[in-house]
Amino acid sequence: MDFELTESQELFRKTARDIADREIAPRAATVDELAEFPRETVATLGELGFMGIMVPQEYGGAGADAVSYVVALEEISRACASTGVIMSVNNSLYCEPILRFGTEDQKRRFLVPVASGRSQGCFALSEPNAGTDAANQQTRARREGDTYALNGSKNFITNGLEADFAIMFAQLDPALGHRGITAFVVERGTPGYSVSKVEKKLGIRGSSCCQLLLEDVRVPAENRLGAEGEGLRLALRALDGGRIGIATQALGIAQAAYEAALAYAGQRVQFGQPIARFQAIQFMLADMATEIEAARLLTLRAAALKDRSASYSKEASMAKLYASETAMRVATKAIQVHGGYGYLKDFPVERFFRDAKITEIYEGTSEAQRMVIARALLHD
Amino acid sequence: MALNIVVCVKQIIDPEIPASQFKLDKANKRQLREGHNLVISAYDQNALEVALQLKEKAGGKVTALCLGEAGATSALKSALGMGADEAALLSDPAFLACDQFGVAHALAAGIKKLGAVDLVLCGCVSGDWGDLMVGPLLAEELGIGCVTFASRIEATDGALLFRRVVETGVERIEAKPPVVATVISDETNTPRYPKLRDIMAAGKKPIPVWKAADVQVDAARVGAAARRVEVDDLYVPVRESTCELIDGETAEEKADRLALRLRELKLI
Amino acid sequence: MPGILVVVAGEGERLTRNALEVLGGAGRLHQKLGEGLAAVALGEKAEAAAPALIAHGAETVYTVSHTLLKDYQAEVYLAALEAACAKAEPRVILLAADSMGRDVAPRLAHRLRGSMVSECIELDGDAGAKSVRAIRQSYGGKALAALAPKAFPAVVTLKLRTMEPAAPTEGRTGRTEALSVTLDAGKARTRLVDRQAEGSTGVKLEDARVVISGGRGLKGAEGFKVLEELAQVLKGAVGASRAATDAGWVSASMQVGQTGKTVAPDLYVAVGISGATQHIAGMSGAKAIVAINTDPEAPIFKLAQLGVVGDYRQVLPRLLAKCKELTSG
Repeated sequence: MDFELTESQELFRKTARDIADREIAPRAATVDELAEFPRETVATLGELGFMGIMVPQEYGGAGADAVSYVVALEEISRACASTGVIMSVNNSLYCEPILRFGTEDQKRRFLVPVASGRSQGCFALSEPNAGTDAANQQTRARREGDTYALNGSKNFITNGLEADFAIMFAQLDPALGHRGITAFVVERGTPGYSVSKVEKKLGIRGSSCCQLLLEDVRVPAENRLGAEGEGLRLALRALDGGRIGIATQALGIAQAAYEAALAYAGQRVQFGQPIARFQAIQFMLADMATEIEAARLLTLRAAALKDRSASYSKEASMAKLYASETAMRVATKAIQVHGGYGYLKDFPVERFFRDAKITEIYEGTSEAQRMVIARALLHD
Repeated sequence: MALNIVVCVKQIIDPEIPASQFKLDKANKRQLREGHNLVISAYDQNALEVALQLKEKAGGKVTALCLGEAGATSALKSALGMGADEAALLSDPAFLACDQFGVAHALAAGIKKLGAVDLVLCGCVSGDWGDLMVGPLLAEELGIGCVTFASRIEATDGALLFRRVVETGVERIEAKPPVVATVISDETNTPRYPKLRDIMAAGKKPIPVWKAADVQVDAARVGAAARRVEVDDLYVPVRESTCELIDGETAEEKADRLALRLRELKLI
Repeated sequence: MPGILVVVAGEGERLTRNALEVLGGAGRLHQKLGEGLAAVALGEKAEAAAPALIAHGAETVYTVSHTLLKDYQAEVYLAALEAACAKAEPRVILLAADSMGRDVAPRLAHRLRGSMVSECIELDGDAGAKSVRAIRQSYGGKALAALAPKAFPAVVTLKLRTMEPAAPTEGRTGRTEALSVTLDAGKARTRLVDRQAEGSTGVKLEDARVVISGGRGLKGAEGFKVLEELAQVLKGAVGASRAATDAGWVSASMQVGQTGKTVAPDLYVAVGISGATQHIAGMSGAKAIVAINTDPEAPIFKLAQLGVVGDYRQVLPRLLAKCKELTSG
């Protein structure tokens, strides 16, 4: 069993790390403070292929594997969790479904612009009444000849404000239940489609979180992604990959928090010595490092399974569950290690703590992950 | 005018690791590898960037050449990822034991093997030993001219125009190819990040590895016996001074105390 | 008579600091080795420098005067130096590690089938063993290497601002010999088109007793204003790290570092400079180093004697005001 990265994967990681150190990390605090979309950074990353890492080169992507995606995304997220989630949504929630379910024409129109970094995408599944109960879609689609009319609202949509293309889910026939849910690509500027609210959040403040409103939005049949009624299957497939993305984002946050705590402990002197010499602190650091290692291995394993086209849903859920809860624990401990200073905005750890929390919630709450895992265990 | 450019790159241990992690291999008189990251020497990266920009403007080909250990392919893969067309590695125990004269001789043999070349670039200083010798030595080995500390290069009608950085300012130097230039950094030659798709393509590109027997080297000019300078000792100097951190509740208070301390020490 | 040969170019009646530093290093080596100390001066009117060279220690001065030597050109200078070396037959050739020295020295060593040590900071010799020992910085100054040339002549470039300059001795005598060398402009493989001096007004950076330097932490050209004001108050010069000059915030001529200027002031204040290895190579000779940086982990704090962890935007204006107050009375 080889735990080493290939040369290309290592180069991906190094390139991501260089950009993260030079351009992303120096701006992360400002992005958070001003809740500002990191436009320039996202453009740079896009040009280099970071928004379509697993998309074949013929569609504008980098043509790499999921492991390469994970190593690159971890470095970006370590520098800035907001940039990390933007990257994750574009790659896992937007590009992957178009790649898997789109027609050639749809790939050309909807995949190429986002994979090549020119446009942003988003994934609009959540609704005010459909969170964990994702199948409870209230947004309606009504077929009228060659077009569909969409009506309803979505909430908590990451990248909603910047996205040129949204993968939109709607119920075509309530009588069919979850087998009626259908996916569509809605383009910015389509009459009736608007961003009705941009939320103010606790963390990942550089990425927009939006309410979307659909008022009789007409989309041509060419914009339907997959078959009628295939929408939920598409969504769940996308979320499997998305779990690897969020696990990685959480991993990056945890790594950043841990490194901050390690550095601080080596420097902060109390009772005549650096606090890193005290066993209480040492034990905290040991736990943090161990959990991060475990989270990393779970995440890489899920990615490796995906690369082998093996089933990876359970593993992706485990990775997301464990990595997100690790990020929260590590970030909390990191503040504790910093003592009073950890509570101040002068230090980055309070931001890691605020950024970490959402990883336990979105793209499937920890509770939802436990359900997925249990189901897989009991079916096996 | 299409240019055939060779960029000599050196793979070194990342010079920006924390000083506390810097350890010496006393037996072999060099830094201990210890699993630290390897990078292309910084100014060599600027040289690659200059080469790539020249190719974009004037057309031609960029080949990255490295003299190093077998594992130095990652430096060359990185160069390919940035946009170099080809890469080659000179790897042989005899080469590793060389001093700068031997390195230049071996690199020159590699360059000759690559065919007719218009421009040979390398960084102006190496990121580990801090030597500035290989570029000018290459010029002697190849019997061509040399421009050191070039920050920008332009291709004009049948000639190359170099912007050379000297103590008093800048000089413009003209030379006809073939010529060697050592590159210094500047706001115009910040090395580009490799596109991820190019890293993937680079992964598939074969990189020939040449041993001493594969190139025309004079055996008497390479290897440990050919060294003209011996490293008697390599040591970390003991630094006794510790930094006195000026304390204060506010930045302004610290500033006041600093000024007073400087006055106390008769520094202002 | 095999011995030490100092190479200077473009020197006049009054020797530059670089030349004095090489003569200083040569003089001390001469004392250790007991071999003859000669100098070769190149230039349009090279003989003008001969008296000063003798006063500062050269026993013999060879001059090569030619119009082609007015500006440095590698192949022409090499031809002149090869002729001078054929005459002087030195065992050790010393040059300042300035842009000319760095360019010509390796090539001279190659042509003479000798050896070379670059950027030497300490030069030693043993008369009995007839050996020379040169110490230089490596790994960005983290380590020192002691090198012993095995092939002669050994060409050594001396790092600027590390050698104690030679002092003149009243009444010292020596021999001057003008060498007649045929120089061929046709051999030149490069041509100097023009030169642009990037002059800074005020104190020259490499000679300043006080240097205030700015780096990446200044985040832009604006940040340098307060550094300029402080430099003025302290009668010093402003320097910059490579990050600042590469970003185009200030002129490249202000760069302090391995490939920029080497400075050895009494006081060096590093503002928003992390202390990357190649920067330290240019200022580690400063007598007192003060670091101002928001990052307590920055490597510069390991080198500095005094440090302030803080934002320069709050620290500098106050420091400027306080320094004004202290230096005005």
